[in-house]
Amino acid sequence: MAKENEKSGNSVSRRDFLKAGGAVAVGVQIGAVAGAGLAAGRDTSTLTGWQHLGDNTQFVNRKPLEIEGLPYKIVGTTRRCEYVESPFSRSSLVMRATMNARRKKQASEELDTQQSDFVKDIAPEQVQGESAPVLDHQKQGPAYPEAHEFPEPMLGYYKEHPGAYELDKIRMEEILPQRSENEKKYGTHYKLINAWSSAWGTSEPITQPPEISDFRIGGGRRSRPIPESVPFKSKKLASELIKKVTHHFGASMVGITKLNPDWCYNHSLRGSKERGSYDVPEHWKYVIAFGVPHQWEQMESNPGKGTSSDAYSRSTIAARRLENFIKSLGYAARRHSPMDGYDIIGVPVLVDAGLGQQGRHGVVITPETGTNFRAGFVTTNMPLEIDKPIDFGVNEFCQDCKICAEICPSQSISYEKTNEDMTTRGYRHWEINQTTCFNFWMQSMGGMGCRLCLTACPYSRKNNWAHALARKIDTDDPTGLVDNALIWNQKTFFDTPDASEFLPPPDGRFANYHEAPEWLSVEKYLDINTIDPSKGL
Amino acid sequence: MLTSKMILAFIIGVATLPVILGASAWAKSLNLQMKWWKWTLLAVWYILLIFFIFLDFTFIGEGEVSAGWKMLLFQMVIMIILGVGLGRLLWHGRLKSS
Repeated sequence: MAKENEKSGNSVSRRDFLKAGGAVAVGVQIGAVAGAGLAAGRDTSTLTGWQHLGDNTQFVNRKPLEIEGLPYKIVGTTRRCEYVESPFSRSSLVMRATMNARRKKQASEELDTQQSDFVKDIAPEQVQGESAPVLDHQKQGPAYPEAHEFPEPMLGYYKEHPGAYELDKIRMEEILPQRSENEKKYGTHYKLINAWSSAWGTSEPITQPPEISDFRIGGGRRSRPIPESVPFKSKKLASELIKKVTHHFGASMVGITKLNPDWCYNHSLRGSKERGSYDVPEHWKYVIAFGVPHQWEQMESNPGKGTSSDAYSRSTIAARRLENFIKSLGYAARRHSPMDGYDIIGVPVLVDAGLGQQGRHGVVITPETGTNFRAGFVTTNMPLEIDKPIDFGVNEFCQDCKICAEICPSQSISYEKTNEDMTTRGYRHWEINQTTCFNFWMQSMGGMGCRLCLTACPYSRKNNWAHALARKIDTDDPTGLVDNALIWNQKTFFDTPDASEFLPPPDGRFANYHEAPEWLSVEKYLDINTIDPSKGL
Repeated sequence: MLTSKMILAFIIGVATLPVILGASAWAKSLNLQMKWWKWTLLAVWYILLIFFIFLDFTFIGEGEVSAGWKMLLFQMVIMIILGVGLGRLLWHGRLKSS
């Protein structure tokens, strides 16, 4: 009996110990899991900005995602893109026309004044020469020429798209003067991001047409014809090498495709003095397409404390290096990059090259960095093995998500369920209102531009376990349930400012998507007085 | 190099054994009639709890502090509801047996 009690007593004691130990272990384990979660979230190696991706930048295996055939539907007669169709390209023509009109107007006004003062010996040319301020729009007053005053190809474009004329006019007459005023009020608050943005500037314009520049290597007096081409053992090996070196040159993702002539801008060819229609050069057989992500922290604080310039600069430099590499092996090459200019449209080339799919916001979403990247290209006649387009469920996701449309301050992105009613030059794909988008670019402060749709896109997330798992499950789910759950989660729990808050005061407060990093804090580093409009006035 | 991640992973791993032994001791102490499927349900519930905590603190760590706390609150409510259901299921077995 005593033995039994002793046994029973020992057993209870041991059990109590295990119970208490188990309870403590649960607490310790939960604490450790929370700590591990924090560490995983803070881990900078999971950021998809350019400085954090490390060696393994193209970490998604595209083989299972490849599709056969075209990645877009052809629904009519296809044609090439005209230069003036892009508001970004059109802006230089708009600016030139506006300046000419203003000069004419001012010259005529000054002449009138002087004539009335009996000063009649001043030639109009001299008056024109004295009056050419470019940026002080307020002083200049509205002077956007009538649509019919524009030369071709603007004239034809405006006739076909009167809405675009109105939007261009609003930009020149209202938005830019207002921006000058905002610059005076709040400009100092954006000193650091502006300095950081302009620090990335680099430009080496192509000054000769493709039949010359693409076959010469080096610039200025060192310019010489490319050497005799070196044969590769196979196209496959050539592509393998090109992809490796493109990664070395700074690209995070690389793909290769044949160039569809419809993706070449018409009436604009760098290095060519003529702005007429041109045939796509025969030696532009292949395109090497690549992407360089933005620096993560500034990307997250778009639009006011963000910039495109960092990724622009890096993709531009990568493109120059790749062009030189290919030319050094004896093949023709031409770079197309943000700071040296494009002769081709980027989005469809990236899609053809299997780097990603086009999203609702009109830009390409890649499996690695979402839309957080900028593209560069090199066209060449080097024989290469091409990649296939991929499908990882972006189209289905975009049909339900609409986060980019909801956050767009200029409401330039469609809310339509599908892109079935969207056709551009015979191709069906997501369209945005590029001109209203560009007009918001011109309103925003900081590094200029917007990029909110790139930042807010649920695919533009870190590469930590949580987002990688979500991407993987979502890609493999044919039911759409995961899509819906992720979108609900994003919209329910993640705070972002409303679209209107990104507008200039008084309608908005120049909000940023997230708080800017401390190294862009003017208040912390600079001894100047500033007003931060994002805090509310 | 020993990182904080490695140390935390070690602690989580080491704590697993006392958690299992403790659960077994609690089950015996409360006279629960545990079957394999009850253990499975309990394990799923606990793993889900751990998963949610890991997920939410990952979001907090990556700067989505508000989203992390809100999700944690939401998921803990769900886990409490599930936990009460699971507890009643386990308790029911105990009452029957007694």
